[in-house]
Amino acid sequence: MNLDVRSLRTFSRLAHSGAEKAAGSLTTLAGIDTYVNVTKVELGTKTDVENEFAERDLVSVNIGFSGGLDGRTILAFSPESAERLVDALVPGMDPTSGDGELAASSLKEVANIMLGGFIDGWADYLDTSIDITTPTYVDEDSGGPLEEVETDGFEHREDERILVFRNQLEAADDAIGFDLYMVPTSQSIGTIVEASGDDGALPVESFAAFSEMICDGANQASDDITAMTGIDTAVEVSRLSFVPIEGVPMSLTDGVRRGVVLEFTGTPSGYIAILFDEPSAENIASSLLPGMEADEAMRQSAIQEIGNIVTSGFLDGWANALETTIEISPPRHVHDIGSAIVDPLATDLAQSQEYAFLIDSTIRTDDDEFTCDIYALPDENELRKALEQLSPAA
Amino acid sequence: MQVYTTDTPTSTSGRIKVGIADYAVDSDGGSLTTSGLGSCIGVALYDPDSGVSGLAHAMLPEADPSGDPAKFADTGIQSLLSEMQDAGADPTRVVAKLAGGSTMFDFTSANGGESIGDRNVESARKTLERLDIDIVAMDVGGDHGRSLELDTSTGDLRVRSAKAGDQIL
Repeated sequence: MNLDVRSLRTFSRLAHSGAEKAAGSLTTLAGIDTYVNVTKVELGTKTDVENEFAERDLVSVNIGFSGGLDGRTILAFSPESAERLVDALVPGMDPTSGDGELAASSLKEVANIMLGGFIDGWADYLDTSIDITTPTYVDEDSGGPLEEVETDGFEHREDERILVFRNQLEAADDAIGFDLYMVPTSQSIGTIVEASGDDGALPVESFAAFSEMICDGANQASDDITAMTGIDTAVEVSRLSFVPIEGVPMSLTDGVRRGVVLEFTGTPSGYIAILFDEPSAENIASSLLPGMEADEAMRQSAIQEIGNIVTSGFLDGWANALETTIEISPPRHVHDIGSAIVDPLATDLAQSQEYAFLIDSTIRTDDDEFTCDIYALPDENELRKALEQLSPAA
Repeated sequence: MQVYTTDTPTSTSGRIKVGIADYAVDSDGGSLTTSGLGSCIGVALYDPDSGVSGLAHAMLPEADPSGDPAKFADTGIQSLLSEMQDAGADPTRVVAKLAGGSTMFDFTSANGGESIGDRNVESARKTLERLDIDIVAMDVGGDHGRSLELDTSTGDLRVRSAKAGDQIL
């Protein structure tokens, strides 16, 4: 399986227009305003997808597709969102009583319409016909979201790299959030890559090697946080995705975050933002300055110090794997609206690229009391060069 | 590519979200919101007589011919105004409010030139001047982020900031 930036752009456009069709279908069906927030193309493993569903307790409906393309689409909701959606569709239904069946069938109906619209968009682009199966409802008690897929002969090894198309949709003033996933078979990915013109595609192993590098970096950063602060953290997610550049700030909320922003230069160059929510930032300050009445300047310097450590942990592995030197600027302290912090970084890159490779990692404690998000935005052309370096043929 | 469609179906909730590199028009007295303006520029246009209002969130100052018009301040404002005219606004009555365009970081890649935030503000001003639209209020520049909410029934633009507090333009 080979991938190139041009096909990634095609994937992104397709996934986005499919998601808009899906959002439009729900608006028409239920009169609930539905928007597509961000469309991401991610390279992950089956285990990553399964873990995410388990951690977020997602309720989902699956639909398989075959014909011109083969694979699976999944519409996933948090249990709260599923409840609100059912309430909007069938007001007054009690999802905890015997109406459970009814609730599941309303969600299936929604999924059928939304996912059907989504797949139509892809079929139009490829000028082919794609058949869809009837929807299957999966809650936290059933097998994993990809379980059903396996029985259809669509098998993935646990560690096999799969392309996941993730679309965040929001409805009714953010009260209802959906994730619309599409997981095509690798053969189908080949079909799409061919349709979009294969110029200088890189083997998927290069992207996989880079993803692993990111995971190692995130683990190192997590260990460093634990060593410095005594807060026992672990990496919750760490992923590489391909997004329209304006989707980068839109991946963050407008909640207030504190942290640092740095610039790195080398192959690749780019930006890193390390952001904490306010309680986590407080936690860091108090664990680095134990028993002290810390003033604002001291807090800022504690955050900067941890920012430096996390950045080196995160990037050192890259420099080693890529056999290059990556220089990092001094960390600038930030305390602002999350999406606004990342906006100037994305905007700077937007001058020369329409899409971005976004690396995002979340490091947190088991009880979620401490959360650190790392966002890295490498220059697209330079990252491509770096990936060539990682290519097995190089 | 636009992240939010500008041809959003008629709002049932009275609140329309405007994404980044996007704009939207409302004529039903609801509100238009956008978040996370750093160096980006927010442009609110309001026709007090017809009640047709619009909000644009542009990333870069000047259009690149192959790009989506909504991404750039110059073409974004132009497109927003055309859509407002289609919805019944009279451009001679339309007034503008600007917010955003901050310079949050002074990275080396800026090469000592004018920041993107400043260039965004400048481009929005020039475009509005060319279209003969008065800027009646502004909260631009600085080193902080902003989120906006335009009340289309009054033309009030609420600017939220984590650092500078809230204000109404």
